Order: sequence, then structure tokens, then C-alpha cells
Amino acid sequence: MTKQAEQTTQVAVSVPPHIRGRRTTRGIMLDVAIALLPSAVMACVYFHLYALMLLLVCIAGAVATEFVYYFVAKGGFAKKCSRAGEVVKSWTRQFDCTSVVTGLILALILPAYTEWYEALLGSVFAIALVKMLFGGTGKNLVNPAAAGRVFLFISFSLSAGALLVDGTLTTGSTYLSGTLLSEGALSGGSSYQETIELSLLQLFLGNGVATAAIGETCKAAIFAGYLYLVVRKVIKWWQPLLCIALSGFVSVCLAATGGTFDITLFPDYCLSGGLVFGAVFMATDYVTSPKGTYGQLVYYVALALLTAILRHFTHIEIMSFTILLMNLLTPLIDTYIVRRPFGYKREKKAKEAVR
Amino acid sequence: MKAIQGKRLFAGIHPHGRKQLSSGRALEQLPPPEEVCISLSQSLGRPALPCVEKGAKVKRGECIAKADGAISSDVFASIAGEVIDIRTMTAQGGGEETFLVIKADQSGEEFRFPALSDPTPEEIRARVKECGIVGLGGAGFPTAVKLSPPCPVDTLILNGAECEPYLTCDHRLMLEFTDEIVRGARYLKQALDCKRIIIGIEDNKPDCISAFERYPDIAVVRLRKQYPMGGEKQLVYSATGRKIRPGKLPADAGVVVQNVATAFAVCEAVEQGKPLYERAVTVSGGAVNEPKNVWTPVGTPLSALVSFAGGEKTSPSKIVQGGPMTGIALPSYDFYTHKTTSGVLLLDEKEASLSEPSPCLSCGKCADACPMLLMPMQTDFYAEAGDYEAAAKQGGALHCIECGVCAYVCPARRPLIQSIRKTKQEMRKK
Repeated sequence: MTKQAEQTTQVAVSVPPHIRGRRTTRGIMLDVAIALLPSAVMACVYFHLYALMLLLVCIAGAVATEFVYYFVAKGGFAKKCSRAGEVVKSWTRQFDCTSVVTGLILALILPAYTEWYEALLGSVFAIALVKMLFGGTGKNLVNPAAAGRVFLFISFSLSAGALLVDGTLTTGSTYLSGTLLSEGALSGGSSYQETIELSLLQLFLGNGVATAAIGETCKAAIFAGYLYLVVRKVIKWWQPLLCIALSGFVSVCLAATGGTFDITLFPDYCLSGGLVFGAVFMATDYVTSPKGTYGQLVYYVALALLTAILRHFTHIEIMSFTILLMNLLTPLIDTYIVRRPFGYKREKKAKEAVR
Repeated sequence: MKAIQGKRLFAGIHPHGRKQLSSGRALEQLPPPEEVCISLSQSLGRPALPCVEKGAKVKRGECIAKADGAISSDVFASIAGEVIDIRTMTAQGGGEETFLVIKADQSGEEFRFPALSDPTPEEIRARVKECGIVGLGGAGFPTAVKLSPPCPVDTLILNGAECEPYLTCDHRLMLEFTDEIVRGARYLKQALDCKRIIIGIEDNKPDCISAFERYPDIAVVRLRKQYPMGGEKQLVYSATGRKIRPGKLPADAGVVVQNVATAFAVCEAVEQGKPLYERAVTVSGGAVNEPKNVWTPVGTPLSALVSFAGGEKTSPSKIVQGGPMTGIALPSYDFYTHKTTSGVLLLDEKEASLSEPSPCLSCGKCADACPMLLMPMQTDFYAEAGDYEAAAKQGGALHCIECGVCAYVCPARRPLIQSIRKTKQEMRKK
């Protein structure tokens, strides 16, 4: 009898379901990190150790910030110091790899001439102020990486758009718009001092010549990451495609206002700048994008329009800004676009009243 | 009739079935337990009122409690013996229920109603009511009530989906008692005065599908293996393409859904006059030695069932009454089967989910998987904040069928069903 009593205490009681799927938060985040790997590798190929340094600094900065915040924020600091081992253990148990992803993304959207302390500051800002202060994983209002990028842009005038040839940095006064790269895309771009001409293939592969951020140059690598995310069902296949294609098309239309309508520019607009990277890895962030399918549709359409329009008029690297803007609109979208339950039919009262 | 393919659900999941544990085991009769504890709350609605005294001798199948109200049902003695106690205990749901305790004697006397030959619809309905038949799929809604629908119906759908993982009692029943189920369905059809009988069977049971294809008057629908295919609204949609509107009964769409086990019970009640005092139960799970399908008297202690199935292999992490997706986790074996108990599962460490919930990521996987097209994460968000009205409005919690799909897919292991139940409870108070 005592044996049975002992045994029964071990049995867990909870609400159903009693079996669960294999997916975990950590697993999803690891999937995203894996999808980012090709971009990271290509960044290292094009920008050598410099890119590696940026990647390491950002990831280490992000993870360390999260840990320090965890250590300091909850419970007495002194009390935690005395039980440091336990705290580290509980932290590793709940560690869900979101900060790794944030660090990775932030590094990949930084221009290659970023100083190490700037990168570090950006990742600390992204994790501490944007994510942890709002309540940690799942509670942040805006994408931490995008916010970190914008923070650096404003603080240090770090604009993606430094000219880079064969890995040698020629930073200086010339800030080219990262969005307007190809020859034909320069509608009204004559005011720029320097432009580089890239073939479509170069635009797709990066090819060692880049003016954008380190991870955004090689579209092929981003595409590989996209395929991985879709196969692993982390994102829905139509989300980035809708955003990129619509944005490209609207850009073509806007360019047509200054001249002739030229649909052959469509791939140039789609592939240039941070649009592809932002659409695949940043806009699809779960926490800061709408939850329902219709809400997501609205979100990606609005994001594409905003990006295209702002690109046309501002000529600066705009993707992070538009993503931040749409992040802020997400709660509104979620509140007003409510799903109808299965079998729901709109009441026909209005029609009958007319009769 | 040759089986036709059922429609795909809008959403759903494909959990690991683990049905092979017990699907090959023929139904066996449990040796009569020495003592049974029969709850008087065997169906939705109010508990039945006991009509025997303490100390009374009862035959097997004798009525021991009378229905109290329209959606209550009669309760019958499941073994012959003496009523030794009427007591109130904690039931599996956590609430207090009144139990009649019957101690077996050696008489083995049995009570049966007279068999009906060539019954009229009224006779069938009356027999179903006096035999205390309830929906054996799990909800426990009295079948007699379902047989007098508020509006005319043209289709009777037999639910043979058995989409819950592990459970195989309906599978065995369909295989071994095909003829009885068909006859029961014909009685039900007669009582409902409807045109056709459809039986929906998931395509992981091809043997059952071919068994039912032999009958010319039964339309067989091969359902895709997708949980929760056996949900009433989901089954009706998949088998007929009709959608039941939110808050409406299937009769609104011209159909009545009955479980195959219910059809079997109806057949026995009409042809043999046998009241509902026993049912097929699956005993399965990774922590049980010999998973089995067992004919079990209502009120059997779970410990008797488990020891009949060879006892524990390892100590279980969870004891579940019902299926793993919707069943009730129990703290011990000191509970008793109901008319609606379709399974007793002993889940081992690997199978049972014991992980702690973490913050919601808003990934939307729950909404993508929800067969009712709701937004469980919104309900969870607002319910946690205590705003139940917003939880019901934004998440659609009141339309939830509690199939457990959302919590199954949730990567953050949120207790979504708990939030939804709490929301329903709070909204009911208002």
C-alpha cells in the first residue's frame, strides 16, 4: 500500500492534451539561426574576418545582455550572487535562443565598416531596452534587431551604403543608397556622386561588391535560408514573396512617374538593398507580426507599399524603419481583424430589412 | 456501398496514433470485479436519483437510479450483488459525485427488458430511453434526446473516426460486431425517419472500411487521418460538406451524429433488451504491460482494468481516463469507469507532456491548426490578464470544442485549453 501511495505522488495531473507535438520555442529559434547561416557564411566570404568579428560581437553581446538582465532583474541581486550556480542553471534551462537570433540578424544588417563597439552597443540596446524591458521573449513590441539597427543609424549615422570593392573598405563621404544599386534603378539618382553598376547576377550573388549590409549582399544565401524556413514550416511561403514582389512592382510604378514604365527593372528593385533580407528574416518575426492569416496579409501588403514609397522618396536604407513602423501597427491589426469561427455565416438581417 | 473520400478539414494535426499497441487485440471480457462504484452522473444534465436502498439485492442490468430531468439518464447495476453503500466521493472531473457501491455475490442473476421484434419508431425511442443509452463517444448526451430532433433530418452519420490516438475500442467493435452496428444504425434511422446512413471511418482502419462496404444501404466515407476528424462539426463537414453554424446543433444542418458504439448499444437494447451497463474500453499506453480492449462493466475500478492488462510495465507519468487529447488526468487508480469512458491510458515518461509553459511567441501555430478557425493565443493572452470578455470576443473561446489541437502544437507549451475553459466558465457566470 505504501508503495502505491509513493507511486501515485509521481503521477502528473494537468489539463488535456496529455501528449504534445515536438516543436519547442528553442527548436524554432534554432531553425531560424540555421536559416541565417548561409548568409553569415557568405558575409564572411565577402568581408573576411571583419564580418566574423561583427557576428561574434553581436551574438555574444546579445546573449550576455540577456544573461546579465536575467541575473540582475528579478529577485535580490545579492541573493542571486550567493546562488550564482543555480541561477546559471535555471537560465540555461529557460534559454530559448531568441537572443542568438537577434544578435545574428543585427550583425547581418550592419554595414561592413561598423566599429566593434558600435555593434556591441547595438546588440545591448536591442536586447536590454527593446526586448527585456518589455518583458522578454514574446513581449517586445518591435523587432529588437531592427530597432538596434535604427538606433545605430541615428546615433552614429551608420548608413548601409559604404562602397566596398573586393573586401577593401573605402568608407568616406560617399553614402550610396543601399536600395538603389543597379544602373537602371537610378531614377532621379543622378544627384548621387557615385554609383556602381551591377549585373543582375552580381546583385543576386553579391559578388564581392556591395554597398549594403554584410548579410544582405548575397541573395542566393538568403534564398537558401528562405527555403529552409519554408520546408521546416517556420514561416509561410507566401509571406516574404508577397512582400518582395509587391514592393518591387510598386517601385517600378513609382519610377514610371518620372519617366517610362519599364517592367524589366522589376528584378533590380526586388533584389536590391535590404528588402529581401528584411522580408525573409525580420518581417516574419512571430512576436511582432499579426497572428491571423488575414492580419498577416494586411501586414505584408502594407509593409511592401510603405517600403516602396519610402524608398522612392528618401533614398536611404529604409527596410528597418518600415519594419519598425509595421511592428507598431501589429496590435491594431490583431484587434480589428478577428477570425470568424467555422461555419460562420454573415447574418442576412440587412437584406431582409430592405425588403 | 463503395467507400467515397471525405473532405479534408481546414486545419488539424497528425499526432502519432500509437494505435498499433492495441488495435490487434480482440475484445475480451473483464472477469466480474468484486465491487463496483457506479456514479449517478453518467450523462450531461442532473445526476440520476437512486431508486434502491442500501442493502438491496440487485440483478445485473437492474435499474438502480432513475433519470432526473430531460437530459439525464437511467443508471443500471453492472454486476449482480448487494448495494453496500451510497456515498459521495471525488469523481474524475474533480467534482463531488454520488456513487452506489455494489458488492458482487455469486447469484449472477441478470435482468433484461423484453426483446422487440419489428419495432415502431416510438418503441425504439422508448427502448433507448429506458435502457439509459447515452452517446458513447465521450460527451454522454442521452441518445433518446438526439432521436427527437427539433427539426427534420435527412441523414444519420455514424461516427467511426476514432481520431483520438491510442484508442482502439471502436475499431475492434466495428470489426467484430459489424452486423450489430449496422442493425443498430437501421433502428436509429427508423426512429429518426431519415433517408440515409453514412458511416465515417478514418483511413487508418481499412479493415473496417471494407467490412462496412458490404452493406448496400450504408454509405461509407473514408476520412483522412486528421485529428479532430471525429469532432461532430468536423465529421459532418467531412462526410457531407455541410457546415454547422456556430452555436447550432447538427440537426440544424439536417444530420444526427451517433457513435458506432452507441449504435451497437441500441442494437442490443432493441434485440435483447439489454440496458447499457457495460462497454468496450481500451487499456493502453507505454507504461502498461499488455494493452487490451476490454468489455468493462460501468463502475469498474481502474486498478482492476490495469491489473487485467498485465499491470504496469514502468511507473506511469500520467494516468488518463479517455483519450490523450481530451481525456482527464487522474492522480491515482482510485477512480471508476463511466458509461463514457472509452480508454484508460498509462502514459510513460516519453509519451506524456510534462514540460513547463514558457511565454507565448505569437507564432500563430495554434490558430493555423485550429479546426474551428479560432485564435486560441488571443484567448490565452486576455484570460491571463483577467479580461474574459475580450478573451471570448477576440479568441472566439465560446465556439471552442476543446479538442486540444492548439495546445498540442504550441511550441511554448501554453496551457491553452485551461485558459479557454476558464473563459467559458467566467462567461457563463455573466
